[in-house]
Amino acid sequence: MIINVDSPVLEIHDLTVSYDQSPVLWNVDLSLPPGKLIGILGPNGAGKSTLIKAIMSLVPVTGGYVKIFDRELNDVRSRISYVPQRESVDWNFPASVLDVVMMGTYGKIGLFRRPGKKEKKIAMDCLEKVGMQSFVDRQISELSGGQQQRVFIARALAQEADLYLMDEPFAGVDMATETAIFQLLQEMTAAGKTVIVVHHDIHSAMNYFDWIIMLNLHLVASGPKSEVVTEELLRKTYGGKLNLLTKVTDIIRQKDFNPLKN
Amino acid sequence: MSDFVYFFTFQDASIAFVVIGITLLGIGSAYVGTYSFLDKKALLGDAISHAVLPGICLGFMLAGEKNPIYIVTGAFLSGALATFLTSWLKSNTRLSDDAIIASILSIFFGFGVVLLTVIQKSGNPEMAGLNQFIFGNAIAILEEDLYIYGGLAILIIITLTAFRKEFSMLVFNADFGKSIGYPMGAIRLVFNVLMILAVVIGIQAIGVVLMAALLIAPGAAARFWTDKLGKLLLISGAFSAISGIIGTYVSFVIPQMPTGPWVVVCLSLFAFASFLFAPKKGVLSRYIARRYYLKKTHQDHLLKLIFHGLESGKKTFSIEEIYQSFPYKKGETKHTIDDLIKSDLLTQNQGLIDFTPKGKSEAKRIVRLHRLWELYLNEYMNIAPDHVHDSAEKLEHILTPELEALLESRLNYPKLDPHQEAIPRDNDEL
Repeated sequence: MIINVDSPVLEIHDLTVSYDQSPVLWNVDLSLPPGKLIGILGPNGAGKSTLIKAIMSLVPVTGGYVKIFDRELNDVRSRISYVPQRESVDWNFPASVLDVVMMGTYGKIGLFRRPGKKEKKIAMDCLEKVGMQSFVDRQISELSGGQQQRVFIARALAQEADLYLMDEPFAGVDMATETAIFQLLQEMTAAGKTVIVVHHDIHSAMNYFDWIIMLNLHLVASGPKSEVVTEELLRKTYGGKLNLLTKVTDIIRQKDFNPLKN
Repeated sequence: MSDFVYFFTFQDASIAFVVIGITLLGIGSAYVGTYSFLDKKALLGDAISHAVLPGICLGFMLAGEKNPIYIVTGAFLSGALATFLTSWLKSNTRLSDDAIIASILSIFFGFGVVLLTVIQKSGNPEMAGLNQFIFGNAIAILEEDLYIYGGLAILIIITLTAFRKEFSMLVFNADFGKSIGYPMGAIRLVFNVLMILAVVIGIQAIGVVLMAALLIAPGAAARFWTDKLGKLLLISGAFSAISGIIGTYVSFVIPQMPTGPWVVVCLSLFAFASFLFAPKKGVLSRYIARRYYLKKTHQDHLLKLIFHGLESGKKTFSIEEIYQSFPYKKGETKHTIDDLIKSDLLTQNQGLIDFTPKGKSEAKRIVRLHRLWELYLNEYMNIAPDHVHDSAEKLEHILTPELEALLESRLNYPKLDPHQEAIPRDNDEL
């Protein structure tokens, strides 16, 4: 079940992504409404992070295209915020919490210029929103997993974007923090922003998201929670074995070239 | 001694020049090297520094003499080729990083040595100083060459300072940089160019074999001292510059002595000293912290011993009894009692030991933490009462007042622990 919308905030058209030889996403085609809290669900290795990275052009796309606010990505970058997975960076890097959050303002100040008082003020406000104001000068290596996650979210807030793409922001976060962050995200969508979140826990997903995308190498479903979350679709996403699709992937991997690439 | 005075008073303008040059190049390469060390690309520096040798030789062959422009350009181009090949092989083969780096390093260096031998056989009278490029000789650098090396070093320092935020982002989170539209590919390219330049400026002073040490060792040593990037760059620059000057001094005092090995010996002393003596992260300070902790634990146990005695109705404690409670530790125990008396927690009167009011309160605090933790384990983690003691024995020394308050309120100010022993508080009768 794939529900499409008029004047979408994000439109993905027939997107196929391969790493080296193996396709990891097959013909994803969907459109998303603005102002919603959207969850991307699926088992491990379903291509959830890859989908977000493909939207941000961080991985090469084998086929298809992405349009955001009906424009090319490069025209609207300043309106988009990307939150990478927490494990993707080295938290031993010598930087303070403030340094990292301030990176959120780098897009606006551009190359060469150094952040100043104004940027520092924005960063402080955003740290306050995630309840980390007392950690400003703390070294990032001293933070717990949940605190690291909140620093990343503060950095995203500092970008003052309209569309947020977050990769597993709840991994390694305790229940109280999870609730607090979800509340924050709901406030953001209430203010008209669109938030897309890669998420692993189906139970909390049911409570919080307005719109759900189910993914397992291909798009299983995309639509409002009430219509999409059915036993059949959940089984297709999590339970059903994709024997055929994985076999095709194996064949392609053994070839010397990737036939899906043009 | 007169050499020392002569060298460090800079009476000789050419010595002053060399010292300025080596300082600049030390700071420049430490600066680049610290970033690549943080980026976990330390080996790439090693590969580049070995890979510039064939370029130096080809530059010499083309010019027919030791022309700095030819040699620097040759070194830069062969370093660039090595860097490019490294990343090309990485994205187009399944070879692992270490295999690629090791192959590039040895193939380029081997080829360079072959060229060097060819030059030496050719009998060119200009070739005399070419061996210096292997281990470096700072004193032998000519003044006009110094202008080139110094100028390039200044270029490196200025570029890294101007793009500090971009390079930090490259190392910390390049994907994020890309997502906000920064040209991360170009920034990576500029960084690689700076890295090759840093090697190139060091070839004559330090030599190709040991240049990698000047890139990586300062940052690695400085990392022990600080968690702040700004300070890290300053400290590594200082280590590198000082080592460079000392190496130059040795080359000055002992003619024909290469500079590179002495710079590296000096750098390794800095690194070793940092490893041993740096506050917090150094071995010595960790050792002291551990000793302090063990001493504190023994004090806590001694206070507890007396308190448990009080609980069971005992009135007096002789020193001998206390010694017997800690078998084989008489010396340490005597020490601990002295310390506790000194910090006004115990009093001693004719061989009898007693609490001061402060000491009793401290003993109660430790026993209280022990029993609160036992109760917490029992109630919240469903651990049987006979399994909770060992954990409490360790945590009683480290639980903070905040955690104590939290435990008290979670457990609702309990009276008894899981073994039905009273949890002592300051206003108790005991």
